[in-house]
Amino acid sequence: MTIHLSIILFLPLATGLLGAFLPRGLARWAVLAGTVAVLAYTVALLADFDGGGGLQYVTDDEWIPELGIRYQLGIDGLNLFMVALTAIAWVPCTLVAAFRQHDRPKLFFFNLALAETAVLGAFLAQDLALFIVFFDLMLVPFYFMIGGWGTGDRVRATTKFMIYTLAGSLLMLAAAVALGVLSTPDGGEISFSLADLQQRSVSEGTQQWMVLLFALAFFVKAPLFPLHGWVPETYRSSPIVTIALLSGVLSKVGVYGFLRIVLPVMPEGAQHWQELFIIVAVFSILYGSILAFSQDNLRLVLAYSSIAQLGFIVLGIFALEDKGAQGAVFQMLNHGLVVVPLFLIVGVIAERARGSESLSELGGMAFRAPVLAALFLIITFATLAMPGSGNFVGELLVLFGTFEDKLVYGLVASVGVVLAAVYMIRVFQGTMHNRPGPDVEPGEIDGLHLAAIAPLVAVIVALGVYPHFVVHRTEKATTAAIQEARGIGQEVANR
Amino acid sequence: MDITWFLVLSAFLFAIGAAGVLTRRNPLVVLLCLELMLNAGNLALVAFSRMHGGQAGQVFALIVMVIAACEVVIGLGIIVAMYRNRLPIDIDEMSELRG
Amino acid sequence: MSGTSYGWLVLAFPLVGTLAIAFGWLGGLRGRTAGWIASGAIFGAFLSAIGALIQLQDQPEESRSLVDSAWTYVATGDVKVDLAILVDPLSVFMCLVVSGVSFLIHVYSVAYMGGDRGYTRFFAYLNFFVFSMLLLVLASNFVLLIVGWAFVGAASYLLISFWYRRETATRAGIKAFVINVIGDVGLVVAAFLLLDQTGALDYAGVFAQADHVFGHNDGTLVAACLLILVGAFAKSAQLPLHTWLPDAMEGPTPVSALIHAATMVTAGVYLIARTHPLFELAPAAADVGAIIGTATLVFAATVAVAVTDLKRTIAYSTISQIGYMVLGVSVFAYGAGMFHLMTHAFFKALLFMGAGSVISAMGGIQDMDRMGGFRKAMPFTFAAFTAGALALAAFPFTSGFFSKDEILAFTLERGGWYVVLAIAGYAGAALTAFYAFRMVFRVFYGNPVEEARELEQGHIAHHPPSNPATGEPEDTDVGFPAEEHHIAEREWPMRAAMGPLAVLALLAGVVQVPGVSDVIEKFLEPTFADSHFHDTAPSDSSEWVGLLLGGLISVAGIAAAYHAYVRRRGITLQLRDRFPRVHAFLVNKWYFDELFEALFVRPVATAGGFGRAVIETRFVQGFIVGGATGVVRVGSSLARAVQTGYLRAYALLLLLGVALLILYFLLASS
Repeated sequence: MTIHLSIILFLPLATGLLGAFLPRGLARWAVLAGTVAVLAYTVALLADFDGGGGLQYVTDDEWIPELGIRYQLGIDGLNLFMVALTAIAWVPCTLVAAFRQHDRPKLFFFNLALAETAVLGAFLAQDLALFIVFFDLMLVPFYFMIGGWGTGDRVRATTKFMIYTLAGSLLMLAAAVALGVLSTPDGGEISFSLADLQQRSVSEGTQQWMVLLFALAFFVKAPLFPLHGWVPETYRSSPIVTIALLSGVLSKVGVYGFLRIVLPVMPEGAQHWQELFIIVAVFSILYGSILAFSQDNLRLVLAYSSIAQLGFIVLGIFALEDKGAQGAVFQMLNHGLVVVPLFLIVGVIAERARGSESLSELGGMAFRAPVLAALFLIITFATLAMPGSGNFVGELLVLFGTFEDKLVYGLVASVGVVLAAVYMIRVFQGTMHNRPGPDVEPGEIDGLHLAAIAPLVAVIVALGVYPHFVVHRTEKATTAAIQEARGIGQEVANR
Repeated sequence: MDITWFLVLSAFLFAIGAAGVLTRRNPLVVLLCLELMLNAGNLALVAFSRMHGGQAGQVFALIVMVIAACEVVIGLGIIVAMYRNRLPIDIDEMSELRG
Repeated sequence: MSGTSYGWLVLAFPLVGTLAIAFGWLGGLRGRTAGWIASGAIFGAFLSAIGALIQLQDQPEESRSLVDSAWTYVATGDVKVDLAILVDPLSVFMCLVVSGVSFLIHVYSVAYMGGDRGYTRFFAYLNFFVFSMLLLVLASNFVLLIVGWAFVGAASYLLISFWYRRETATRAGIKAFVINVIGDVGLVVAAFLLLDQTGALDYAGVFAQADHVFGHNDGTLVAACLLILVGAFAKSAQLPLHTWLPDAMEGPTPVSALIHAATMVTAGVYLIARTHPLFELAPAAADVGAIIGTATLVFAATVAVAVTDLKRTIAYSTISQIGYMVLGVSVFAYGAGMFHLMTHAFFKALLFMGAGSVISAMGGIQDMDRMGGFRKAMPFTFAAFTAGALALAAFPFTSGFFSKDEILAFTLERGGWYVVLAIAGYAGAALTAFYAFRMVFRVFYGNPVEEARELEQGHIAHHPPSNPATGEPEDTDVGFPAEEHHIAEREWPMRAAMGPLAVLALLAGVVQVPGVSDVIEKFLEPTFADSHFHDTAPSDSSEWVGLLLGGLISVAGIAAAYHAYVRRRGITLQLRDRFPRVHAFLVNKWYFDELFEALFVRPVATAGGFGRAVIETRFVQGFIVGGATGVVRVGSSLARAVQTGYLRAYALLLLLGVALLILYFLLASS
């Protein structure tokens, strides 16, 4: 079976454009059909993917030959499940939005579709310039979705979000251009293709500041402490669907960038900053966990918990150890899979509490909504990495990888596991258990949200039962991604 | 005849036009002054064309005239629109772009 | 069918039961059906465990360790984990105890929980717990063990906060859960250390390698064993991770009987026994286990003497008894430790069932100060409870008598400073006998309280529903705990469960009588055959001396309790008034809760407040965000100054610009 990645990539955008020409009521269904089609195509991709092979389904065309930029797409173990996550996450979010988002629907769904294309593009791109194009393109639809359909102080939120992420992107762009130019051998052609860049080399000193610039962009996107200043306001004022995607999928693009670009292309530079990045990651874990514990707003609890979770992922990557990186890749998938339904559940809860999202005003919903409580419980347990969930396997591998060379950091990070239990159980109890809050009118989960959340829960449970499905397919590419940086690290250690 | 005189005249016309654009507040007069500047340019183009003996300068002048005509149409259109909306016919009042 | 097929069946029954009940509820399953489905599932598991037992006994002794893998759970790098079970005498023994006791408690719950609006949910959770517990004991590698380990913790959390409208219950739940997670993390780190050194995560691989890679008391191994102990102590409520267990009594009484007495809390003992090859290589860690076990058993016994809440008294007794088991397996008396685990499961489950019956009769009140004189009103409960108390007090020839004293005899046999541990153990035994009968005398003897008198007239007390811990009125619209109360005298399933347990509590000791029988020891032998202490069992005669001593202590303790609570009532009050400080110290459980509050909870909360108030606003928003936006703002205000909006200004700029350009070219060309 031949699989054309361009179809996956542009199908959402095509349906979004189609929706723009359809009558008002139909745009949403066109986009929803597009996301479902992408999901179906991705399932075929998963079935067809050869775990032992390298880059597959490669599309390689000239785009801007003068600048050495190519339209290059491909799938390997690193992005296979990121593409799958994108495809999986967009369906329930679009579904919920299709029934809930009534204001200027054409534009909203066009943006939603554009966002999916952009994210898929960032994951699929095998050319640095192409990656950056899609990386920045992601911002556009999210800017409009938050600014146009958000609540509260959305102008301030979008401004901050834009300034932060654009600043990061621009630094990355500068580093990328410099990388392309400086790595061009004498008399050779400039190229931004990752495969070429990997062959060429830049001096170690140059690599160091380039990695730092890339890292700034990726840490902002993740986000990691202390570059998370945009998080509270953006999370608070975004539409729930948007924030689910932002936190569940977009945040992974940054950390994915480390594995796809930074480690293979600039191994010396990455190795140079290993210690710093690990410290940032560990600090993010602790800081995010403690702050998540002390927040009252549900969205903010999840926001800070995301910071902690992303800290685990970065820790796994920069442990520069096979198991750790493997766990990080798996955890990227797992975190996306739990965060999306968590935010959707926040939406469900808010609908039943007159819009309230603060823990102190909620509670006691489980009795009238046992199915909601059961789903929420499973997701809560998965989020806190209860053994038996995919998240546990991910975190276990991250910790194992970190213990290998960085035992102390690993031990400190383990504290984050305990804190995660505290803040997630606190969220579950604060909404489902105890006495009902003043404005709570508990009611069972509606069919719409059930249809959106239950399949995600099924995927979470399935990954818990058979995590090897993922690990088996990602192993080869992950090992290859960190191989060089790891080798340099060992050399340094031996010296 | 020496080309210098043409160029001096062209420069004078241009300067008068520029001074008019910079100092006058009535958009009609500003538009007229713009025409003056354009025609100063035309004069220089034709003069050079004659000096070099080629046709290119004259063709350019024709193109400039066409553009000038377009510009006048749009400019007058804007002025008429302002008049219809009973806005003051004064370009200093139109400073919406102030940052 | 092979032994492992039975092993899978053991797991399948409760899992299917959970799913059947959960989805059955969606399909409209109501009434007591759920309870019977759940009981049936557990009975199926019990029968399967017997099947496994028979299969196993058919094998020659050296091949009684069967591993069967379903599929690869995760494999990357040097991590290779299969979803595999291990069927050997130890796991089968645990399966039998767990499923057997669970089955009886399920039957008890069918009646006891009747009328509770969370009835179906209760049985779904309970079945899930049994599944997790069986997964824990059947796991063939550390990762799967951790999975089962965390699952039982989750089930325990769910059941502790089962009556989730009570804030005391939810708070107890979160406490139990978090302490259990601490244990999980300990196990994860231990698993890593073992993987790192031995290159394996399955028991067989680790133990096979351990002998080669670890020297005697190797530092890494001791660290790994201590981390295993952290896991074991968190689950088994040993010092200093015990504080969750008394609070866990917020759960329904059958839960206390099943999870917090008979099965889950003994998982730590199982774990030490399972990893005994490691502990024997690292006796330093084992000694730590023995010392903490002893300290715990004494500590918990002193608290049990002072607290007045009936369930909490039994909870502290559980902590104390597990201390004995930990001591047993830590001095490598595996057979004795597992034997005590079994008898304890019987008599402690029985005690909780009796307590549940009494609490029902009291209309939900748990305070012993308000109980008394139930002997006539509840003859069956009285008999059963007393049987349990006798076994707990290790009264001669009851089951607890043989099992506990075997541990102590073994400890004495080790000689050296272990004698101190044994003496502390005997002191604890005296306290145990005292508090066991303190409960009996205070609840069943003395003047009948109003509830007891009413029950004699045939009315079960009904108080307006309130939280026994705080007195807060209950949220009645949800209907849990149920309005009506169920006592053993009126419900045959409760009697059906308590009867066999009472018999077992009194008589189960016969399977292991020094010089007469050693069924348990023999059965477990293949698992522990590689133990270096296999042959150092105390002689029968010295064991009988120990038994005699234990029996005397037990009788003395009971007599003291009789003296203090029946013959000369009030003597304890005088003592309390004489030593108020001591009493306060004991009643406040040695202030462990307050200590942890000050050491961990408050610092984290303070750090969170500090993070929100200072770091977020000053550093992140002020410095970083403020810095970034500040630069942008200054830049934009400069750019804005040029934008006057006057056409002529733009024109002038344009002209100037062009003029400058021309000037530049002129200068450049000349």
